[in-house]
Amino acid sequence: MPDHATMFRRVLIANRGEIALRIIRACQELGIETVCVYSEADADAPYLRLADRAICIGPGPSKDSYLNIPRIIAAAEIANVDAIHPGYGFLSERADFAAICRDCKIEFIGPSPEAMGKLGDKVEAKRYAKAAKVPVFPGSEGAIEEEAEAVEVANEIGYPVIIKAAAGGGGRGMRVCHNEATLRTNIKKAQQEALAAFGNGAVFIEKFLERARHVEIQTLGDKHGHAVHLFERDCSMQRRHQKVIEEAPGPGIERKKITAVAESAAKLIKSAEYAGAATVEFLMDENQNFYMLEVNTRVQVEHPVTEMITGVDIVKMSILIAAGEPLPFKQKDISVNGHAIECRINAENPDKNFMPSAGVIDTLHLPGGPGVRMDTHVVPGYRVPPNYDSMIGKLIVHADDRKQAINRMKRALGELTIGPIHTTIPLHKRLMENADFASGGIDIHYLERLLK
Amino acid sequence: MIDIRKLKELVKLMVENDLTELDLQDKEETVALRRGQPGAVYTNQPVVHAAPAMTAPASANDTSGSSDGGSADDGLIAIESPMVGTFYSAPNPDSDNFVKVGDSISSDSVVCLVEAMKVFNEIKAETSGTIAKCLVESGQAVEFGQKLFLVKPN
Repeated sequence: MPDHATMFRRVLIANRGEIALRIIRACQELGIETVCVYSEADADAPYLRLADRAICIGPGPSKDSYLNIPRIIAAAEIANVDAIHPGYGFLSERADFAAICRDCKIEFIGPSPEAMGKLGDKVEAKRYAKAAKVPVFPGSEGAIEEEAEAVEVANEIGYPVIIKAAAGGGGRGMRVCHNEATLRTNIKKAQQEALAAFGNGAVFIEKFLERARHVEIQTLGDKHGHAVHLFERDCSMQRRHQKVIEEAPGPGIERKKITAVAESAAKLIKSAEYAGAATVEFLMDENQNFYMLEVNTRVQVEHPVTEMITGVDIVKMSILIAAGEPLPFKQKDISVNGHAIECRINAENPDKNFMPSAGVIDTLHLPGGPGVRMDTHVVPGYRVPPNYDSMIGKLIVHADDRKQAINRMKRALGELTIGPIHTTIPLHKRLMENADFASGGIDIHYLERLLK
Repeated sequence: MIDIRKLKELVKLMVENDLTELDLQDKEETVALRRGQPGAVYTNQPVVHAAPAMTAPASANDTSGSSDGGSADDGLIAIESPMVGTFYSAPNPDSDNFVKVGDSISSDSVVCLVEAMKVFNEIKAETSGTIAKCLVESGQAVEFGQKLFLVKPN
């Protein structure tokens, strides 16, 4: 057991909901005092009672509360904390916030602003990735100006290709081209569209994968130059770029290929001097070739499935790493044990196009038994606030193999009762009965096709 | 080397003023003294707190000073803190308080300071009337929305 002389005495949790509870739990087990901030909309949040202290920092809107840096720092000051855990979302990937914490002599539980800048920026991350031999998307180096250039690049990469706006996002300004003719027609249109929508007509070209799977690698790096990977998660079951189901390990993926890409991901983290938890996201094609999408420089929502198969407590590790502890294990000590699946439970109505369903939860029964883990902050009587995202909990199961894990998830979903608000429980039940899901290896557009 | 005499003086200061925490820092050293807390801070055995049950609805805010009994029911209006920080009742330690019970105020009257990150912010009353009660003490940490004063409206 490492000497806790340098361990944080008190940590402020700059987040809400299930992840705030998750961090409180990790701190409690580490003997660390917890201070949790909250907005007025979360004044009745039940997990606040578990924190040693709770501080109201503003009204409901995130910009006035959970995204408000001065208020969070002020709370950290009056509570005299040693460190701040940003959780996921909100300020977790803001290098400016990490820098402010450092200036205020408060430890930011996450990477340094420099490491975050290196891997958080898509262009920079690609540079580091190439050096670490992480497979990246073949594509144009910079913006495409001329039609001829576009054709040349596309011939090099191979069709189909996708034209993307450099300044774009949210699926806008993207055009898939299956051949040269379509490419020639679309390149100019894409540039005009990009200029109109984003004020920047720069476009670039990447290889487009028809049936890609989203496979990501969990890594941990410490402040002493060590980095390991904790294998992969398959998060292909998505709707509108939001993950619905995650599992580990990824079904039917050749282990040698996983080891190779996972080791390159660990090398990437190490090369960027990244201390903390990071996830390197990839798209995997039908031949099980990997192409890096981006690096998430924070703890992720779906971290529990990796915890279940490796036995590593990722949130605790994020705190220990920030406190300066070296990783307590080597790569060879980490192995995959069994199979884990996570279903994200959202307060949405799947029959009404996933319309958010805010309101009071009168009925709540959580599943239990062997291999069942429920990460949720809701309790009977809890009012789901309308101000934030709709995720109210995560149901995770672990079993010896994938078939048993699916079976266990069916059983657990049968026990899970949340009402009268609408939730995505019926959707998850349907997916656990789905034959394609049972076979494994569905692609990232599968769910959207199924729901049409 | 830490001066034992200086430490003894600091401890005496803490006891005399009933302080539980004292932090001092200068170029050479940092001194952190904690008084009256059970159990050692630095141990190899993490202490797991016996947590209260997580039930709702819960009012988690026990620093709001709401146990004072004053409420809008009495027809009084509360002046609430618009920010997180440390409340000060006077412009500086040597001055009189900005306001005291019985004082008349208008909405532009500065009633106190709330300090955060070394910046002192003047807090305006935003209401007019007479100060009926002050709910917090100078030097006390306050949070967003915390009631600072009760005002009897005109």
